[in-house]
Amino acid sequence: MSATSVAAAGQYDYDIIKKFSVMAIVWAVVGMFAGVYIASELAWPFLNFDSPYLSFGRFRPVHTGAVIFGFGGSALFATSYYVVQRTCQTRLFAPGLATFTFWGWQAVIVLAALSYVTGYTQGREYAEMEWPIDLLILFVWLAYMAVFIGTLMQRKQPHIYVANWFYLSFILVTALLHVFNNLAVPVDLFSLKSYSLFSGAQDAMTQWWYGHNAVGFFLTSAFLGMMYYFVPKHAGRPVYSYRLSIVHFWALSFMYMWVGTHHLHWTALPDWASTLGATFSIMLLLPSWGGMINGIMTLSGAWDKLRTDPIMRFMIVALSFYGMSTFEGPLMSLKDVNALSHYTDWTVGHVHSGALGWVAMIAFGSLYHMIPRLWNTQMYSVRLINAHFWLATIGVLLYITAMWISGISQGLMWRAFDDFGNLQYSFVESVAAMHPFYAMRAIGGMFFLTGMLLMAYNVTMTIRQGVRAAEATGAPAAAAA
Amino acid sequence: MADNAQSQSQSADVRTTGHVWDGDLQEFNNPLPTWWIYTFYVTVLFALVYWVAYPSWPVGKSFLPGINTVTYVNAQGEEESWHWNTRAKLLVETQEAVAAQKPYFDKIASLPYENVTKDPELSSFVVSAGKALFSENCAACHQAGGQGKIGLFPNLTDDDWLHGGGFENIHETLTKGRRGYMPPFSEALAPERIDELANYVVSLSGGKADPAKTAKGKDLFHSHAAACFYCHGDDARGRRDIGSANLTDKVWLWADVPGAESDAARIAAVRRVIAGGLNKGVMPAWEGRLNPEQIRLLTIYVHELGGGR
Repeated sequence: MSATSVAAAGQYDYDIIKKFSVMAIVWAVVGMFAGVYIASELAWPFLNFDSPYLSFGRFRPVHTGAVIFGFGGSALFATSYYVVQRTCQTRLFAPGLATFTFWGWQAVIVLAALSYVTGYTQGREYAEMEWPIDLLILFVWLAYMAVFIGTLMQRKQPHIYVANWFYLSFILVTALLHVFNNLAVPVDLFSLKSYSLFSGAQDAMTQWWYGHNAVGFFLTSAFLGMMYYFVPKHAGRPVYSYRLSIVHFWALSFMYMWVGTHHLHWTALPDWASTLGATFSIMLLLPSWGGMINGIMTLSGAWDKLRTDPIMRFMIVALSFYGMSTFEGPLMSLKDVNALSHYTDWTVGHVHSGALGWVAMIAFGSLYHMIPRLWNTQMYSVRLINAHFWLATIGVLLYITAMWISGISQGLMWRAFDDFGNLQYSFVESVAAMHPFYAMRAIGGMFFLTGMLLMAYNVTMTIRQGVRAAEATGAPAAAAA
Repeated sequence: MADNAQSQSQSADVRTTGHVWDGDLQEFNNPLPTWWIYTFYVTVLFALVYWVAYPSWPVGKSFLPGINTVTYVNAQGEEESWHWNTRAKLLVETQEAVAAQKPYFDKIASLPYENVTKDPELSSFVVSAGKALFSENCAACHQAGGQGKIGLFPNLTDDDWLHGGGFENIHETLTKGRRGYMPPFSEALAPERIDELANYVVSLSGGKADPAKTAKGKDLFHSHAAACFYCHGDDARGRRDIGSANLTDKVWLWADVPGAESDAARIAAVRRVIAGGLNKGVMPAWEGRLNPEQIRLLTIYVHELGGGR
């Protein structure tokens, strides 16, 4: 990206943050396009074009990989490097390692996508990368951990700001999850294929211990870290409650670890493990809501900004979706609700109300706040941010409404018996009934993607404007306060 | 952003913690919301009750079983109670469902096929259970309505039956499976001969064909050189005992004659089958995968799909 490094005459290390911010936007466009494409394949199967490379099974991890690790991951690297420097009042520890995290992480996303379309997968959801890529992730992650902890240790502030606790827990737990979930034996040293060290129910349990904690720590804790910096910063208001932030941080971290088994109700999983998954999910509800309360209450007193500031709107809507999906999650983890919801589109809708409504929206708000400050300029167009906000909100609502209807219909159709006690519908009849909702979901995705394209354009223009201004003044500009 | 940040606290007793980061980031120290903390206690209480009721914590090599139980009938026919568990629940639900349907299956097993189809209630049951069984086991090939697919799977709704459409024939097909085979003639016969045969075969069902070629094809069909009549019979009407096709009707399974757009394409479709033969017509045996009562019921269902004899 821009070689005209560094605002703030070197007060903070911004170059790495700029790189990650730009890639977050690139991966968001790529990943959301892949999402719209596979959603369209489900509605209009001719889009497979009988090509294995484009088939849903191979393209779906390309979508999840690009949005979670490409977009989400890059946004987290960018914001965490930004937040940790600014709240510790120090530059990054080991900038060389930080640069390695950038190139390493981008290589991971590209290699993962290439390996998926060519048919290499571990078959572990959200961890489909085969072992050589897993090793690269491990090295990148250890470097990230070193940079982050090193920066914390050289802080010029007596206290560690709450956002950093969340980022740190995300970094530590992700390392733990990644290592244990990916313990596998390669077929041989030169083969991409490997087999999991675990088998049967243990394997499934490890997979979902990873899978749900990826949601918990990668997509929740880390983005709460983002929220804890950017919401009060953008609102210009103090965080509502320090006490609440401590209590819900520890409660959240403790409870999340247990809940993965709620993905395996009514399977070969032992019943006691199933019970623990369900009950810890219920106990997780209020700790999750602690973050929402703290975010929303921080805004109280600054409500007027919602009328004029679309960035604020992104943040408040993100918190609302966070609250909604962390209510829906515990509900779905109860065994009897799960018997209806599991294997249906309801799950897909739930994930997206979290992923689009919470994760993407809070990331959009934070990036819109951070990017003009990185390039020492203003956003190119506030009206485009506003348009993005509405497109994204309508997109999410279409998406999750479609998936609620289709998911609950599927669940009801699969369990419907006629008067003689025979199954009333065949599976294919339920698939046919889903068609209008699959189309609706794809359209919702198109709305969301269109908003994302507006953001990409807006950010590109903003960066050009910032670079031009810097060149005009002939000197590196000072950082925004 | 920084201007109004040193903002007033919400009430006199709420103060910030006194820490300031990044110029203006501060924290109030509001107490935990009361409703939040009490609702949290309620969820903990819920979990505690749940743990008492259902299998929960692992202890040593076992686990706390919980006080809820499931009662079911074991293999020896005795009633037994077990701590709540999903296996026992599945057992109970399956036993109840099987018991509810048993009278129907028993009655169907005890009656001749024809009598089942004459009994309105039993017929309704056959349609209901048959549709479920057919959808789960047969529709993947024969399609949801049994209409089949030309070139791949036989149509079960017409009245053309390679292996016979009587109840006993269908029952045997379901139980033992079938294998459709025709040898390829591309090496045994010159392309012109195959073309002549194809013209003759198309003419048999009233299709348009070259008269000269048809005449030659007819001779060839009945000769020992091509030997078509061995399997398809002197009258080309096929043989039920070996499942060879009737070539004189307009029903086609392998050569896509109905889908061909021109007379030439119809002949070409037949030519391809004669030249290449057939070795893909495999119907699996369902014996061992479905129980005898289910096969008997499916027999009636398939027979009643429209074309049974």
